[in-house]
Amino acid sequence: MRDLDPYYMPQRTLRFKIRQDGRVEETVEGLVGEACINLTEKLEDALGTVERREPTSDTFLREKVQKQTIPAEIH
Amino acid sequence: MSHFSTVKTQLRKKEFLKQALIDLGYVPNEGENLVRGYRGQTVKAEMTVEMSKGADIGFRWNPGSKSYELVTDLDLWKQSIPVERFLAQVTQRYALNTVLDSTAQEGFQVSEQKNNLDGSIELVVTRWDS
Repeated sequence: MRDLDPYYMPQRTLRFKIRQDGRVEETVEGLVGEACINLTEKLEDALGTVERREPTSDTFLREKVQKQTIPAEIH
Repeated sequence: MSHFSTVKTQLRKKEFLKQALIDLGYVPNEGENLVRGYRGQTVKAEMTVEMSKGADIGFRWNPGSKSYELVTDLDLWKQSIPVERFLAQVTQRYALNTVLDSTAQEGFQVSEQKNNLDGSIELVVTRWDS
């Protein structure tokens, strides 16, 4: 994967929207492989069951430019 | 892999539940206590909040769902908000504290936190990886 370029210092960004009823929407950007799974598992352990999971569009990006806005809402 | 998840929050960790109640201005008692209800009837709960009016509120561990559940005598509910709203507030606060703690443990820092008009809380945390 080109994301794993050793000279590239990526910024990992997590976006959360915690709704009034306590539902949590989480968008993970730029985390690859194990780091992504570790953090998510830790969160799920304390938070609860994931109702839905879908890849964000940056998963499909071939370039490492990830400065796009990903909608943090599902309606 | 980046992904997008929706989690239905369950109250699983006692310390975050306790903190959520404190954040909302309640004084939780830890340990097995009695929740008082109608005519002095009681039930046991692992976390209790004595209310100045109406029935007490307790949280009881449910081994089946592996989470804490609210227990109170609804006939005596005299709080300013309905019980559903109360539970939602606790759950939202619990979720926020959980997310803040888990991400901090993984080296993330809060770069943005804001309260939306619709009552939701938005949180952005970042980390630079070398």
